[in-house]
Amino acid sequence: MKDTGIFYSFRSVKTGQQVKKILKLLGSDNVTAVDIDVATGEDFMKFTNYVLAVPTWFDGELPTYWDEFLPSIEDESLKGKNFAIFGGGDQKGYPENFVDGIGLMAEFLEERGGKIVGFTSTDGYTFEGSKAKRGDQFVGLALDIENQAALSNERIDAWVKSLTKEFA
Amino acid sequence: MSDIPKIHSIKKTDKDTLLKWYRLLFLGRTLDEKAPNYLKQAIGWSYHAPAAGHDGIQLAIGQVFDRSKDHLFPYYRDLVTNVSAGLTAEEIIYNGISKDADVAGGGRHMSNHFAKPEWNIHNVSSCTGNHTLHAVGVARAIKTYDSKGVAISSQGESSVSEGYVYEAINGASKEQLPVIFVFQDNGYGISVPKKDQTANRKVAHNFEGFKHLRIMYCNGKDVFDSMNTMLEASKWAEENQKPVIVHANCVRIHSHSNSDRHELYRDDNELGYVKEYDPLAKYKRLLIRYNRATEEELSAIEAEVADEVKVAHRKGMAAPHPTPESAMDYVIPEPYVSTKYPDGTHNHEGESLKLIQGLNETLKAEFRNNPDTYLWGQDIANKDKGGIFNVSKGMQQEFGKKRVFNAPIAEDFIMGTANGMVRFNKNIRVVVEGAEFADYFWPAMEQFVETTHEYWRTKGQFSPNITVRLASGGYIGGGLYHSQNIEAALTTFPGVRVVYPSFADDAAGLLRTSMRSEGMTVFMEPKALYNAPKAATPIPEDFEVPFGKARIRREGSDLSIFTYGNTTHMCLEAAEKLEKEGFGNVEVVDLRSLLPLDNETILASVKKTSRALVVHEDKVFAGFGGEVASLINSEGFEYLDAPVRRVGSTFTPVGFNRTLEAAILPNTDKIFEAAKDLLSY
Ligand SMILES: Cc1cc2nc3c(=O)[nH]c(=O)nc-3n(C[C@H](O)[C@H](O)[C@H](O)COP(=O)(O)O)c2cc1C
Ligand SMILES: Cc1ncc(C[n+]2csc(CCOP(=O)(O)OP(=O)(O)O)c2C)c(N)n1
Repeated sequence: MKDTGIFYSFRSVKTGQQVKKILKLLGSDNVTAVDIDVATGEDFMKFTNYVLAVPTWFDGELPTYWDEFLPSIEDESLKGKNFAIFGGGDQKGYPENFVDGIGLMAEFLEERGGKIVGFTSTDGYTFEGSKAKRGDQFVGLALDIENQAALSNERIDAWVKSLTKEFA
Repeated sequence: MSDIPKIHSIKKTDKDTLLKWYRLLFLGRTLDEKAPNYLKQAIGWSYHAPAAGHDGIQLAIGQVFDRSKDHLFPYYRDLVTNVSAGLTAEEIIYNGISKDADVAGGGRHMSNHFAKPEWNIHNVSSCTGNHTLHAVGVARAIKTYDSKGVAISSQGESSVSEGYVYEAINGASKEQLPVIFVFQDNGYGISVPKKDQTANRKVAHNFEGFKHLRIMYCNGKDVFDSMNTMLEASKWAEENQKPVIVHANCVRIHSHSNSDRHELYRDDNELGYVKEYDPLAKYKRLLIRYNRATEEELSAIEAEVADEVKVAHRKGMAAPHPTPESAMDYVIPEPYVSTKYPDGTHNHEGESLKLIQGLNETLKAEFRNNPDTYLWGQDIANKDKGGIFNVSKGMQQEFGKKRVFNAPIAEDFIMGTANGMVRFNKNIRVVVEGAEFADYFWPAMEQFVETTHEYWRTKGQFSPNITVRLASGGYIGGGLYHSQNIEAALTTFPGVRVVYPSFADDAAGLLRTSMRSEGMTVFMEPKALYNAPKAATPIPEDFEVPFGKARIRREGSDLSIFTYGNTTHMCLEAAEKLEKEGFGNVEVVDLRSLLPLDNETILASVKKTSRALVVHEDKVFAGFGGEVASLINSEGFEYLDAPVRRVGSTFTPVGFNRTLEAAILPNTDKIFEAAKDLLSY
């Protein structure tokens, strides 16, 4: 597996715990954790494989740290890079915008040539609308600790396994 | 991704603009944070709804608003909107501490209701969201006059629950009007979470089936997303002459207002993250992160703003309060003055016209006289029909559908858009059929009350030049909902004139005066008399009746009857009978105008006859006659030889069955008996 960057906000609590699990499963070789709160475009462009932690906030928005970071790479080409996105969402509290952030991020990356990997089935989730949904899949991994905390570990396990196949 | 062009971004927007925005945002925030100090020191600003957390969308609304062509209706949380639209720190403080120099209206309105009518930043109600109807009304004028610009209305997401907001958006969609409805969504209506307002989390979703309406969603905490969205909204609405909803996600960083304590219903986690999402802090971080400004540059702006606010504060503290005497100013504008008929009487002879003809011909004459006149109502025109009673017959044919048109069955919309449309231009005169029957005016009461406030609240800056026609009263076998008299409820509001003629000539003359006057007049039409031969009279072509001039319809010496509307005719019949049967000579005074009331004529008549009977069709209890009786008691007590008595309806609704109707409503016999009693007292 080529260099892999895992990007998240070091200040986030729930997401931070999920990242820890993912890091463990990925193994630490070639995997670097980067704090999106302070990352530069240069820091971001270094990798071939990416795991991006993108929970959804405020009825379908990206967390502000992502929103503030994205202009750094908006003019870059992301061709040849693989992106796996996961993020928290709450299907009961926000059924109309469940894990929208994952979808918003995927769209941004694809517009710049990035390849999205790590799609997962929407089976087992109940919601009304999601920007992350394509057909019967999410364009990443949805974790709902508000309503389905017990399922998170196995979802993460399966997802990380699939990534090791899809990452270059 | 989104269909909104990315005109602005942290990397693309020029530096001067970025710094100008920072200055506005920081000025807004400084004032927003300073506001509570005035209350703590008991100086004022006792109502303050903080803008913090709404800064992105508010900056954008103010920046996009162009006072040379647009109309802005900000709400009570729109401090930053107003600052961004150009209000100075001084102007914000004058309003906050209610000084006479307040450009919104001299401290008459509640604090934190910023406005500048001179710039088309309208002074709006505290009644949440009711200015949506005004925005639609003025947008109708923008479209009618082929003018440039858009109307922008702003409100919170919770107040969208109000029925009139739906009426406003329905009307804007139907008429395809250039109006932007901004919903600033902070998730709460005071302490009530938005899930208690409507099923969709984003209330704008509720409107997705409305035709011709574009809905845009944006992050109101983000300056760039908000700017791009508002720019597109304004451009699209103007170019396409269609309405837009902008739903902006915001956070409320503080309590709803200074009388709310949000820690009682928001946990620490939430109180923490809403602060973290502060739009101003985000904007500042972006400026620094992308090297668009240095810390020093921003600090210099902050220092400048601090000085500016200090100076404004000093001026605000030194500025005078409104004087107590000024409370009586600007209640209602001066009416049109009749030079030809100063008493509202005439000696014209000729063919008698029915009351309905008098109204129809006066409406037409005034429409010919003033090209800026408009008429709408629920069933005002369709081919040969002109209103349910045919009062407006032939008008749409002669004046066209732009000036005479049907409105949806939404009385508040009818009234509210009248209030809005007349804001466009002082020459505009709107006549509305406020409801098909006066009985159905109640849904419009909210806008009626609002409209009575405008002139006073703006300290004379906005005068709603509207005539509200209402087919009133009973005697047609119409039951509870086609018989009501509602003048008692209307005359309690300062800021309106209320007239209720009983003869064709007075109806024509009062209508002309209403349509030429500034301010609002409610014109009650006794519908039972529209075609009644007894109400028909000759009418001079140019007849005018001034407000506040009663007319003595029958001279007498032994008893005065004060009346109006349907009962005038009954009083005249009773008077004839009383004289014939030798009970006395009765004077009948047709008040014609209830507000203002002709105290002089009333008192002079009582002085002459020493006895007074007040008669009207409405219920005696709490009816308008109580005012007349009370006037006579307090000012004419010495003239009286008998108590003032009243005749009117029983304290019941009006029954449909004819026996019930007759038992309830006054009639000639009941008046005869009461007058006979008084004459022999
Ligand atoms: C204010 C707020 C808004 C949220 N909006 C959404 C949403 O629109 N869609 C969704 O799926 N989850 C939403 N959530 C749920 C979060 O995504 C979820 O709690 C996630 O685990 C947060 O992770 P973090 O605390 O690490 O940022 C929201 C949570 C909060 C507090
Ligand atoms: C017609 C009316 N009903 C109730 C109120 C009392 N009130 C004042 S503000 C408010 C909440 C409005 O919430 P929202 O529209 O979401 O705006 P926000 O204050 O949250 O910005 C209420 C209920 C009012 N002013 N007018």
